[in-house]
Amino acid sequence: MSAFPEKLEEILELFEHLPETERREMLISFSENTSQHEPIEGDTFDLEDVRKDDECTDEVGVFLNIDEQGGTHFRVKLGPKVQTLTRAMTAILCQGLDGSRPQAVQEVPQDFVPRIVGSELVRLRSQTVYYVLTRMKSACAVYLKRKRAAS
Amino acid sequence: MNEKFTAYAQPEVLVDRAWIEKHSNDPEVRIVESNEDILLYETGHISGAVHIDWRRDLQDQTVRDYIREGGFAELCRRNGITENTTVVFYGDKSNWWACYAFWVFTLFGHKNLKVLDGGRDHWVAQDGPLTKEVPTHDAADYPTPPKRRDDEIRAFFADTLAHAQAELPLVDVRSPGEFSGEVTHMPEYPQEGVLRGGHIPGAHSCPWKTAANDDDTFKSREELAKIYEERLGLKQDDNVVAYCRIGERSSHTWFVLTYLLGFENVRNYDGSWTEWGNMVGVPIERTND
Repeated sequence: MSAFPEKLEEILELFEHLPETERREMLISFSENTSQHEPIEGDTFDLEDVRKDDECTDEVGVFLNIDEQGGTHFRVKLGPKVQTLTRAMTAILCQGLDGSRPQAVQEVPQDFVPRIVGSELVRLRSQTVYYVLTRMKSACAVYLKRKRAAS
Repeated sequence: MNEKFTAYAQPEVLVDRAWIEKHSNDPEVRIVESNEDILLYETGHISGAVHIDWRRDLQDQTVRDYIREGGFAELCRRNGITENTTVVFYGDKSNWWACYAFWVFTLFGHKNLKVLDGGRDHWVAQDGPLTKEVPTHDAADYPTPPKRRDDEIRAFFADTLAHAQAELPLVDVRSPGEFSGEVTHMPEYPQEGVLRGGHIPGAHSCPWKTAANDDDTFKSREELAKIYEERLGLKQDDNVVAYCRIGERSSHTWFVLTYLLGFENVRNYDGSWTEWGNMVGVPIERTND
């Protein structure tokens, strides 16, 4: 059984079978869809975490809602200086983790990134692609902690 | 010519948007985009621009070095660049990687090189048009350069050690926190494998950013002279070595000192802090020690 939520696994399998050129085109396409995953004015969230960390080039806002079935729905707002690969990964994660339980998000292994971006695009300075997942996991951890405290 | 450029020591090395638009279909001109953001070119670029990637195209990862003479000739051939082509570089991050690519082309003796002042972000801020259409250029004839001119504009570790021991001018262009040793990564970046924080003994701290305006264009000659000549006390005929972490930010400073201020003897230590900071038995200084 895959360690990844079903929707994310589907995206991983899609990327793994793409030749390099099409893989890049797909990443660009995801990066251009990031705005579709931004919070919409008037939306309310169970948790909002907007900050600029030292290891990322710009501010990143993570907005989390939990539905009645306990599924997560992320919205992410990226500053303009965030790199293309990180934008693509943000859209992939918003789509791939949608509906997963917070515990499942926390357990997503980070080693899926090379399956998506391929070896040619993995560089030291591309490591911020892991950053958004870390922030999503952190949001889930805070949500669960608050829930436990409330009960 | 752009009025600001005329004051620089070699004004012909800079171009602006008007120049690009005038030469957009000039077969003697090749525009080259070089970025840190690996996928940025594919999201859109100046019409006709080719993409040269600092790691994939300019470096040989197996030896932590640049491509050799034959590899450079092949790179030019496949991008439709002849010996006489005017190559114009631009890119993200205030032209760090554009200046880096300019420096590598200079290592191989290519003569007609220019930089788009302000780079990609300035072009976009001015509503400069971008296209996703990747140009195809007929393969060009480019003779293999006789040698890579490492001894002229490049400093290796041993050169830099001797330079420091002779107390000759060293310019550390990293951020103040990296220089002092407070941090071992540059702001907004992950750690890049450096074990010690600090700087080469005797180095001046002068972050690359001091040479750029907020819109990424280069500061005026008068402003640059105040920074490097008045404040740092550097002289035009000084033997200067610039360094950062891996040589890209120091390429920006090398470009400023050499072409905008007219310094005659500036070298880029591309091994930079990722080499010096990790070298066994080599001294460093920390500002707060």
